[in-house]
Amino acid sequence: MKFSLNIWRQKGPDEKGSFMTYEARDVSAGMSFLEMLDGVNQGLIAKGEEPVAFEQDCREGICGSCSLVINGIPHGPDRGITTCQLYMRRFPDGAAITIEPWRARAFPIIKDLVVDRRALDRVMQAGGYISVNTGGAVDGNVLLISKDQAETAMDAASCIGCGACVAACKNASAMLFVAAKVSHLALLPQGKPERTRRVKAMLGVMDREGFGSCGNQNECEAVCPKGISVRFIAALNREYLRAGVVELGLPAEPESPHAESA
Amino acid sequence: MARPSNHFQSTVGSKIVMALSGLGLVIYVIFHMLGNLQVFEGSHALNGYAAFLREMPILLWTARAGLLSIVVLHIMLAIQLTLRNRRARPVAYVVRQYRQASFSSRTMAASGLVLLLFIIFHLLHLTAGVIDSSSADRLDAEGHRDVYGKIIHAFQNPFIVALYLAGQLGLGLHLNHAVTSSLQTLGLEHAAFNRLFKAAGPTVALLVVLGNAAIILAIFLGIVRG
Ligand code: HEM
Ligand code: SF4
Ligand code: FES
Repeated sequence: MKFSLNIWRQKGPDEKGSFMTYEARDVSAGMSFLEMLDGVNQGLIAKGEEPVAFEQDCREGICGSCSLVINGIPHGPDRGITTCQLYMRRFPDGAAITIEPWRARAFPIIKDLVVDRRALDRVMQAGGYISVNTGGAVDGNVLLISKDQAETAMDAASCIGCGACVAACKNASAMLFVAAKVSHLALLPQGKPERTRRVKAMLGVMDREGFGSCGNQNECEAVCPKGISVRFIAALNREYLRAGVVELGLPAEPESPHAESA
Repeated sequence: MARPSNHFQSTVGSKIVMALSGLGLVIYVIFHMLGNLQVFEGSHALNGYAAFLREMPILLWTARAGLLSIVVLHIMLAIQLTLRNRRARPVAYVVRQYRQASFSSRTMAASGLVLLLFIIFHLLHLTAGVIDSSSADRLDAEGHRDVYGKIIHAFQNPFIVALYLAGQLGLGLHLNHAVTSSLQTLGLEHAAFNRLFKAAGPTVALLVVLGNAAIILAIFLGIVRG
């Protein structure tokens, strides 16, 4: 198969970028999208040109490293997969394919198609954890969690932090990501003690990093490789409302970060 | 006590205030439409209703002040969030394909703007009588202000009819997304009710627009006469 690729090239964070056209030749239908790009890069290297920078790691849809907006859709035309799981048989032979990086103020471009997604890490650092004393692991089945609750928490926890939700959102909002992280902890007994400060802290950092607000268009859900449902965004809104109510009854200078769980 | 005001300065907090203020306006719009349907019962019913509203000036002006402040709050937050959202993506995609965002959800700022312009026009036209003062202060046989006559007169004019129908289009588009969206913003979500919540926006939008458009068209087409 043969493709004509229109790829965003940008030398560095502060450089001006532009689209460049490349031919991908001798592509087999069973190649993944990233393997196809590997081939193009081999050709560029052979010609002494700079290869196209893109992110990848596991290439099996679990790490959240790969990205790419392919013909206007983050992670490409198939639902429920990452770019590394997308195969070239999905495209008609000879097709023109436009490849862009995730676009968001909170995700500055590092090079070509690679963006800096550490804003999501900083949101996690603000509260995407539980504070526990170290020591021996708790015995199994000491904390009983109903099947339903465990399954729902797992649905939320399957977020791999790829940022496609941000890329797809008209407002570059990170609500689906934050919703997944906040919900999965709020659903489990281990996460409950810190839930009030967690939701406020994580949403506070989300705002500070320059993500937009949620317009409830549900584009995020449609491109999420893990099918995280927007019902978790409703759950996040509930958590936030709950935190507001709970805080009315708390002292004005709330606790040091870990006081709630102490 | 933690100050609740801080709680509403975040984007999620702003959206919650927007949803609440928007729902307040939705309730008003529904009752406004139902009240006006009395056109179909004739001048006696409608003028009586209008007089009844004006008999309680304190209530009327409280309601007006309340509505105005809700509208101002809603619009200020809309502008603030929309600007913020524009800034959140400084470089646009060259190719953009939406997967499931509805048309009305993508045009909230535009339909909101149409609504704002329409509301201003509507207030100047029928409430203040600035745009057409020909029948502003006429009284009917019972000595009530002749609101009925004023409306009948207004909707003979095809330009006015077109403007009002355009306003209804903006209202329908805005409400179609807004009502469902506001429920999600308020965290209302449950497997048993989600279909109901999804249907709420289109249903409310359709009922309000049909009700209002029926009044306008019935008069224009001469089904309801002075
Ligand atoms: C007058 C000018 C108006 C403007 C400029 C305006 C603007 C907006 C915008 C931009 C949004 C989307 C906010 C977002 O997605 O972040 C919105 C939401 C909303 N609007 Fe309006 N609007 C106006 C009037 C109205 C009126 C008259 C109503 C009610 C009849 C209304 C009800 C709502 C509701 C319920 C929402 C949903 C809030 C949410 O998404 O949770 N708006 N409005
Ligand atoms: S919610 Fe989905 S799209 Fe967003 S970061 Fe997590 S896995 Fe990626
Ligand atoms: S490379 Fe790990 S998810 Fe695609």
